[in-house]
Amino acid sequence: MTEKQRQEILEEWLRLHKGIIFKIVRAYTISDHDDLFQEIMVQVWRSIPSFRKECAVSTWLYRIALNTAIRWVKKEKKHSDTRSLDQVQHLLQEDTLTNEERLNWLYTEIHKLDKIDRSLVLLLLEGFSYKEMSAILGIGESNVGVKINRIKKQLIAKSKKFDTDGI
Amino acid sequence: MEFDEMKKVWDAQNNQPVYNIDEKALLDRIQSKMDIVLRATSISEWCLILINLIVGIVLLNRDPFRSGNIFLSIEAGWMFLVVVYLAINRSRRIKASRQFDRSVRGDLDHSISLLDYQMRISQIVSWNLLPLGLIMIGAGWESGKLWKVSLVILISFSLALYVTRAGYRSNKKRKRILLELKEKLDADI
Repeated sequence: MTEKQRQEILEEWLRLHKGIIFKIVRAYTISDHDDLFQEIMVQVWRSIPSFRKECAVSTWLYRIALNTAIRWVKKEKKHSDTRSLDQVQHLLQEDTLTNEERLNWLYTEIHKLDKIDRSLVLLLLEGFSYKEMSAILGIGESNVGVKINRIKKQLIAKSKKFDTDGI
Repeated sequence: MEFDEMKKVWDAQNNQPVYNIDEKALLDRIQSKMDIVLRATSISEWCLILINLIVGIVLLNRDPFRSGNIFLSIEAGWMFLVVVYLAINRSRRIKASRQFDRSVRGDLDHSISLLDYQMRISQIVSWNLLPLGLIMIGAGWESGKLWKVSLVILISFSLALYVTRAGYRSNKKRKRILLELKEKLDADI
């Protein structure tokens, strides 16, 4: 695969599925959207030659993005990018960051979960089946089910408090 | 709010693009970062292999057999053994990296195995300093420059030990974080 072909694939994936990456970035970091987005895109770029079309592109991207987000730690920034802030080009410019109160509440609650639970709730909200979640995470379906039930109960209980008291 | 309603709230954002991407900046950054990633993966292995190889060759070029300093030939032999050991380990690491699946668990396992490998190499490098130091002291003693050689060994080996131990500690910390994540992934069974 040539560099040009790889670049075309990346641009195509980004055009069609950037929403997936944005959601994961927003769910895994509050302030370092640029850094995590860059890290995910590097991993996506690396993964392109090994994509064998055995699953949908969206599933593949979810895998790569979640793997990266779960392992991502803020301090990596120090090692990977030593340029001053003025020199750093911003990759993401906020367009219409939503003010939907309930969506913001949902992201806030997702932030409160640990990294593994966060990945599960994202997959669930995206409509992945237990089987697909099991394949993406590499754990058994029954384990997925138990975790999902616990997280759902937590979220529903908190949402009731939100409905009555607000944030 | 029931979960179905949360899903509707979640899905609604699909129609609202949150960010614009500066694609050119992105591709530039990927390219520069890829170079770093590719270099960083094997840079320490190649450094160790080359340092041992070069020092081994330099020692042999001093013709230890004719000078009668047996410690120099032992040292050169030791260096070449370390080169072979590192090369075999590198090849095993590359082969093993293809065995992990692309799930979150597979990725965590892969990262943990890489950290284990790097920690093992750090330990080997640290322990390697001991026999190497003894051989060099022996060579210095035989050539009548014991104090000079011992001083050089003390300073250079202390520095090397400090660097490798710092790397080891940092990897150990990263491994603990990954193991905690893996435990969380396996919990609730």
